Amino acid sequence: MDKQSTASEFQGMLEARGVSRRSFMKLCGTLAIMAGLGEAAAPRVAQALEESVIGASQGDLYPVIWIEGASCTGCTEAFAQIDAPDAAAVVLELISLNYSETLSAAAGHSMEKAKEQTIEAGNYILVYEGAVLNGWNGNALRVAGKTGNEHLIEAAEKATAVVALGSCAVNGGWMAAAPNASNATGVQAFLKEQGINVPIINIPGCPPNPEWLCAVLIQYLLLGELPELNAENKPTQIFGQTIHDNCQRRGHFENGEFVYQFGSPEEAKGYCLYPLGCRGPQTKANCGVVRYNHRRSWCVEAGAPCIGCCEANPNNPGQNWIEVNTPFFKRHRDLNIGDFKFQPGTIAAAVLGIEAVALVIHGFGMKAAGRVPNGAEFEKKRAWDAKHPEKSIGVYDDAPKSDAKKGGDE
Amino acid sequence: MTRSVIDPITRIEGHLRAEMEVTDGVVTDAWISGGCFRGMELVVRDRTPEDAAYIVQRICGVCPVSHMHSASIAAEQALGITIPNNARIIRNLIEGAQFLHSNILWLYNLAGLDYVNPLNALGADAADAYDLAAELGTPSADFVGLQDRLKKFADNGQLSIFSGNWFDTGEYNMTPEADLILTAHYLEALQMQSKASEIAALLGGKMPHIMTIVPGGTAFVPTAEKLDDLKGLVDEVYQWVADTMIPDTLAIAKFYPEATTFGKGIGRYAAWGVFESPFDEGTSYADRMRNRYLPAGVLDENFNISDPDESKITEYVGHSWYEGDADLPPFEQDTKPAFTEYDVNDRYTWDKCPLYDGKSLETGSFARVLVAYKRGVPFVKQHVDEMLVALGAQAGDLSVLQNTLGRTAARQVETLYIATLMKEWVNELCEAIKSGDSEYFRAPEKSDGEGTAFWEAPRGALYHSEKVKGGKITDYQIIIPSTWNLSPHDPKGNYGPLEQALIGVPVADVEKPINALRTVHSFDPCTACAVHIVEPKTGKKFETVTSPWGVK
Repeated sequence: MDKQSTASEFQGMLEARGVSRRSFMKLCGTLAIMAGLGEAAAPRVAQALEESVIGASQGDLYPVIWIEGASCTGCTEAFAQIDAPDAAAVVLELISLNYSETLSAAAGHSMEKAKEQTIEAGNYILVYEGAVLNGWNGNALRVAGKTGNEHLIEAAEKATAVVALGSCAVNGGWMAAAPNASNATGVQAFLKEQGINVPIINIPGCPPNPEWLCAVLIQYLLLGELPELNAENKPTQIFGQTIHDNCQRRGHFENGEFVYQFGSPEEAKGYCLYPLGCRGPQTKANCGVVRYNHRRSWCVEAGAPCIGCCEANPNNPGQNWIEVNTPFFKRHRDLNIGDFKFQPGTIAAAVLGIEAVALVIHGFGMKAAGRVPNGAEFEKKRAWDAKHPEKSIGVYDDAPKSDAKKGGDE
Repeated sequence: MTRSVIDPITRIEGHLRAEMEVTDGVVTDAWISGGCFRGMELVVRDRTPEDAAYIVQRICGVCPVSHMHSASIAAEQALGITIPNNARIIRNLIEGAQFLHSNILWLYNLAGLDYVNPLNALGADAADAYDLAAELGTPSADFVGLQDRLKKFADNGQLSIFSGNWFDTGEYNMTPEADLILTAHYLEALQMQSKASEIAALLGGKMPHIMTIVPGGTAFVPTAEKLDDLKGLVDEVYQWVADTMIPDTLAIAKFYPEATTFGKGIGRYAAWGVFESPFDEGTSYADRMRNRYLPAGVLDENFNISDPDESKITEYVGHSWYEGDADLPPFEQDTKPAFTEYDVNDRYTWDKCPLYDGKSLETGSFARVLVAYKRGVPFVKQHVDEMLVALGAQAGDLSVLQNTLGRTAARQVETLYIATLMKEWVNELCEAIKSGDSEYFRAPEKSDGEGTAFWEAPRGALYHSEKVKGGKITDYQIIIPSTWNLSPHDPKGNYGPLEQALIGVPVADVEKPINALRTVHSFDPCTACAVHIVEPKTGKKFETVTSPWGVK
């Protein structure tokens, strides 16, 4: 075994790239939390990073094959936006990305050869992006003389683990939405059907946050363990709580302060997007914590309700995020009754409904009961409601609110 | 005579195959096969126009903004909405951020590796590299540190993304010092493309697949803090683009003069126009297209310009896997897939053959730059002329650029133009907000109609058209840039744009036809969305079919 790089060499490399010790430790903390180890494990992660793979001098990069199935390349694109370590560091100092249709220098048969050799050698992780297409007996997707599904089987059989990256890989994604023209499904369901037993890690999202993949890779490569997975093989630390649980606009929800129309003054105040159909309360992911694109922003912060792109049942392509969540800007739980699907048109009037009214009453109640004493300034009557009495979902009592218990906190 | 096949073609978006006949070391015949098979137009049927905007952008992870933008424009046309001025500016900024991201990524990280050999940089003398950078007028970097990093990478013995590379073809011309400089910029570009994406994320929530362009305007409302961040990011990306990209382009040109001798293509171009200038309800759509910062236009073989005319667009399917050999306007087709086999003498692709007045057109950044030049856009005219002079040609002689190198080079003029515009738009937005304009969204007042968006993705002319009834989409058609560029032979047997460009390309090694790859990348193909309307059909044999993903 050749010598490993020392911590000081590693530190030198980080410094050369403008990464301070402090931000490195911060990164380790984030990784430790996402890996489910808790922030206290940050020094352990730091030690693993410093002493092992990154910067090592002989054959220590972990081989990864990244296959694009029926994909839009969005997951690869998202990966290219990764924060720290950045994409170059990942492919030069963390993994040996031996096959990537978007990033590889090689082309044609040379590419396929690189993949074959990697499979032959074994001990690699397969990242699969895009849907698995069963249409035309799998021939809907062919690369280099074989069906896409044959490529998946070959690469999956010998893999240490398979990461199904993105909602399409988890269960077909939008391609599986009605009418599912290409007979799309997900990696887990397909491999099960093929009798291939390999550990699968499902990372949904459209696209999935690249930090999620990085956390999983680093946990496996450096600590030698797969993350804790839930019943759907999704990492529990990432997909254990709803968007709503950690939403930066949650306080406004509690206060009953809502955005009723895109681009409105209420949006400028950062009110809650629930009436516009936000799927935060039912979608499980830590988007609001990790954020996207160098942690610059995320959907809700930019004024867009969550459209539930992480919704993906790996055992049922029919339960894809499009089918479950459209129409995006309506609260629609009541609209899917059994097999009957009702899709209301138009964006013009945002949601009205019993649920929403109940929420506002709940919010008023919270305020009136003094449970949110230091919240945003409380309007007696929302400006928007006063202007649009016919669309208002607020229920107002004309009598002055002298009774602190009024409003129903029960 | 021998066949040379590249499959899969890498460093593009999607899957693509090029098959070429090579005679005496030169390509004499070519067939491009590609496409994908996901049924997008069918998925958005029976859904709302705003849902469609969110769903259709998933057709492509590289240019999602353009698809969402086009879907929103088509819905606005259908439902009679004129978006507020602030929304126009914000949408330009998001679109511009995507163009910058895409153009940077394409030049350095996708096409770049056809010219730059990072492993060769190991042999460079770092001190000489500083001198060379000064001579080329391109920024220096920590060349010593980079070499050290590359050495560690090389010593490790694993090639990662360079596995199976074609660097040994003897057709990589750059000196080790030049390779070192361009490798440094390859790594910087990876960061700068993500900075550009960060702008899209700031205004759109995340990138790829942004969240805030909606039919009627934007969901995003700027705050003072967001405007600060926006200005900082835009200035940073602008500065890097302005300092680095054109000098690097000229450096590549210096080492690869032979790339000016092939890859012309059909010599007819189309741009549908992108980045809206101010408009109001009274502005006709044709005027809007003409007035865009990168305007619309169709150029014939002699660079004569005309306004695009929707009625002249048809799609021919005689060489593609669809029933029959119709040549009809988008909504009049009833295209049903009908797989036969991969037969270059008959049908060999999922890609249809779009025609304009019976002829194929090249589209993309090069087409946009040529159209803008002929429309007299001052910035483009000035910088194209400067580039021509730097390449040793006469200002105004556009034919000098009609080749693989020219197509690759002209795009940087566009990148610089957009980076410059982004700075202007940030100021424009600040001024508009200061003047008290706080409108960002207008809801539709009707729920029936038909609308078409002519727009541009980074890869070229993009067409979305939809029919809406009762607030739901009844029919949706998309013609993607790569469908134009990758089209098969037309009804008269003429080559498609990329096929034509491959004819005459020198191939020294049929196993590693690097010049063909350079030519393919000069078009920046994006096949995931090039073919997209399909339904499953049972009972057909598929053994020998090249399918969407382009194979034998």
